[in-house]
Amino acid sequence: MRVFQKGFHYSQDGPGNRLIYHLQGCNLRCPWCSNPEGLSTSAGVDHTVEALVSEVKRSRMMFFDGGGVTLTGGEVTMQFDAVKELLSRLHAEGIHTCIETNGISYRLPELFPVLDLLIMDIKHYDPEIHKATTNAPNDLTIRNIRSALAAGQPLALRIPLVGGFNASETDAHNFGKLLCDLGVPGNATVELLPYHEYGRSKYHMLGMEYTMPDTAKLTSDQICFYTKILESYGLTIIKT
Amino acid sequence: MGRYHTIDHLLLTEKAKKLYREERDSHKILNGWFLAKEIAADNAEGAATLHPELRAAQELEAVVEKLPLEISDYAIFAGTQRDAFAASYALINPSFRVETFRGYCDPLEVYDYATATAEVSKERIAAMRSRYAKTPYVEALNKVYGTYGEYTDEVTFFIEQVTGHMIPDFRPALKYGVKALMSGIDAKISAGDLTKEQVMNLQAMKQSLGCAVKLAHRYADIAHVQQETADTQRKAELVLMEKNLRKVPEFGAENLMEAMQSYILLWQIMCLEQAPNPFAFSVGNADRIFEPYRAMDNLSRDEAAALFKHFLVFFNVGERSWAISQNVLISGKDTAGNDLTNEMSYAILDAYYDMNLPQPILSVKLHRGTPTKLYEELGRFFFTPGALTPSLFNDDSLFQTLIEHGVAEEDLPDYSVAGCQEPLIMGKDNANTTNSWLNMAKILELTLTGGKSAITGAEIGPQTDYEPEYILKNLRALFYEKLQFFCDQMADAANGASRALSLLPVPFLSCFEGGLETGYDSRNVEHQGTPYNGSGCLIHGLSVVADSFVAVDHLLKERPEDAADLIAACKCDFEGYEELHDWLKACPKYGNNLPEPDEEAVEVAEKVSDMVEGLKNYLGNSFRPDWSSPSTHLTYGYWVGATPDGRSSRQMMGYGIDPLFGAADSGLGLRTLSTMKLPFAKMNGGCASHFGIDPKYFTADTPEGKGVQFYERVLRPLFFNPANNNRAPFYLYVNVTTGDTLRKVLANPEKYAPNGVYIMRIHGTFVNFLDLSPAIQEDIILRLDPKSTCC
Repeated sequence: MRVFQKGFHYSQDGPGNRLIYHLQGCNLRCPWCSNPEGLSTSAGVDHTVEALVSEVKRSRMMFFDGGGVTLTGGEVTMQFDAVKELLSRLHAEGIHTCIETNGISYRLPELFPVLDLLIMDIKHYDPEIHKATTNAPNDLTIRNIRSALAAGQPLALRIPLVGGFNASETDAHNFGKLLCDLGVPGNATVELLPYHEYGRSKYHMLGMEYTMPDTAKLTSDQICFYTKILESYGLTIIKT
Repeated sequence: MGRYHTIDHLLLTEKAKKLYREERDSHKILNGWFLAKEIAADNAEGAATLHPELRAAQELEAVVEKLPLEISDYAIFAGTQRDAFAASYALINPSFRVETFRGYCDPLEVYDYATATAEVSKERIAAMRSRYAKTPYVEALNKVYGTYGEYTDEVTFFIEQVTGHMIPDFRPALKYGVKALMSGIDAKISAGDLTKEQVMNLQAMKQSLGCAVKLAHRYADIAHVQQETADTQRKAELVLMEKNLRKVPEFGAENLMEAMQSYILLWQIMCLEQAPNPFAFSVGNADRIFEPYRAMDNLSRDEAAALFKHFLVFFNVGERSWAISQNVLISGKDTAGNDLTNEMSYAILDAYYDMNLPQPILSVKLHRGTPTKLYEELGRFFFTPGALTPSLFNDDSLFQTLIEHGVAEEDLPDYSVAGCQEPLIMGKDNANTTNSWLNMAKILELTLTGGKSAITGAEIGPQTDYEPEYILKNLRALFYEKLQFFCDQMADAANGASRALSLLPVPFLSCFEGGLETGYDSRNVEHQGTPYNGSGCLIHGLSVVADSFVAVDHLLKERPEDAADLIAACKCDFEGYEELHDWLKACPKYGNNLPEPDEEAVEVAEKVSDMVEGLKNYLGNSFRPDWSSPSTHLTYGYWVGATPDGRSSRQMMGYGIDPLFGAADSGLGLRTLSTMKLPFAKMNGGCASHFGIDPKYFTADTPEGKGVQFYERVLRPLFFNPANNNRAPFYLYVNVTTGDTLRKVLANPEKYAPNGVYIMRIHGTFVNFLDLSPAIQEDIILRLDPKSTCC
């Protein structure tokens, strides 16, 4: 399994104190991505599943406040077989497991039995705009949200909120309608991740062009307004 | 308050605080040590033909008889350490500069800190300095430093004679009185079967014990005189003080106040015997020592704490608490695993917290059976900004390491801490803990350069002329070969310093270190006076060396075409090689639970521990590997050029067994996993590790709850982790704060430390952060590395 970063974080990508693995390789090309070093499938450091299981077991005492292991990316499902094996073994050990994914994988439901929490990004409600901006449509993501809810899989949705992309009043209503149609209210949480520029310097270091305009940034008032619209659809908006 | 009916605990506390304030404000000049040296020197002139042990006892007696004494109006105990210490310890000296610090290799330098006054003239200081320079001890020591100057100038290694740094067992003297010990000596001599030297040594020890009675009676006389002019309240206190002084330490103590009074006078004489600057004597487990006496009076926790507050003030000398690194321990377990925390343990914690003094250091021994209550009570220390934080020991692990290195099982509960974190057996162990200091990073530099200093160009040790590629390909073998050479030189030099020091016998201390049984002085270099003996070696540069080996491996494998440039790049501190520098810095680093650098660190620690343990001291006993660097990671780093791990020239090294600051960037959790891999079974000389902890990760509502969280989130994973198949780490100190907070304290001390005291830990001791030199303040801030402080 190729990992480009690992470390502990408290209550950011799942509950409690967690060991977070950033897996190498992504199937999308979102221009705001804050981990561009994770996009390519050829970089990262190889670890065997065995080594990671061993590391996690030695860390078990540090998973306080309901913590555990979160796999994120890159895109977790790009290394699906290894991910499935790792999660299965951790789940069997009684360790709280979580992944953060864009949901663009036919096989995602295979992981539900070994996942304590599924964090899924939904970047846009419109498949065409989604594809035009990120390189892939959102239909698989939407399908996997339905599957997760149908399976009773604990689910936390995240919307990266980017000015000029998905942050208008109309966008908020359209997201609200879509998530209602999917049955999200009362069954999954929603978190807004306002655009930030933390990744900008990495692009320069990697020799990549950073194309995000300043208009992508949002004010706290705009975020608050957006939140209220989503709440009007009965959605539970959380902040971690 | 029983027999102390004249003193209530609130009043006692108020007086203790005033006593400390008076010490800090009114004793800015410390010349007592100078007077003691002068009295001793005067006496020595008339005693040149005496046996050295007897001469030492006679000198001590003269000092005790003639040294000016006083009793403060705020004191309830008579006694002071003020006359044994100079205002000179570098790190808390505002004039300290890393750039000019050369170690403590000049035995005459302390005379720079004698202050000319109306009583002590400049000429008198100069004259005494000249007399001292001609003593056999100073001549012998200077000869050692002269011989090995080539190696110590740029701190390839450093050596020193070790004064202080032991843990006397005063328990028999407290219980039976020194008179009983003196009678024991008479009986032993009468029984025969002793050599002439042993008889003389024992006679000297007896004479030195008599000093304790003389000192007590001198103080009793002062207390008596002061009664004549005292008000009613103070008179009652002085009457009690005089009564106590007429009884102890001559006879056994029968309550807590007597026991503490007895202890203080014994300690005072022990320090006077080694003046100036016998740093780092340790009290040992104070809770176990004093609990029997607390119980005799059935004193409450508040009452016992109030008395202990005065005991604590005794350990603070002068304006900046110059008597550093004196250690008080509490809690721990016995050999059967029973917890030994008692009522006195909690009283001691109360006293420490309320007083929050820069000295003495507090250490807490933990084990799997440590009661939750103790963690609850510790919470207030960790989570009150500016409060002292105890250092933490793991009995479960340390017992095993000590027993594997020859400590008898029954002695294990009595291990204590001499100085920062070195474990010694109370009353039985002369470990010469700070005898030698090994700078592996400098030796790595010399390996790369063929023996020429990258700092000064000086030729240090054997010179070689290998091609750069050959050096890199054979780096480990060449490094260990060079290390062995310097270790051998270091041991010779260190033993030379110990032999020089043996010219100054310590009969009084020896009484409490096994000398009454062996008949030999603790410092004797031909006959072992203490049941356990060794010499310490503080090993520096673990992370620099391990990370450098890994970086060189990667370079040879991934950029062989650049290998030839590496040594040139290090020599010029990467100037013109910026891209290579960045690449080296990005190579895997120890402290992130990465197999490659962590395994390298384990190998370095194992090999070098074995190498050090293979060195023999003056008695043929092993040197003890001690993986700690009491601020010397900073001062020694200044003498090391750039290294292949990407560390810049003159930059500090990693502290003790810790990663280089900034290198462990994956959080405290993975740092903990890396630490757990190290060979703690081989670190019988000690090891040092510091965690910076960001307080925001502790969410409980009360200090008690946070104390338990601190155990669950930091200590249990590190010390008591069932997933760890290795010997667990056994030492940790923490600073629960952030660099940003400390910068605010420096910018606005009136707001953050209104009483002028903001306690932080540096290496094994705690200090008033505001007293520190700027370089040490910055070191503390840098090592509160934000990327490795969070959970």
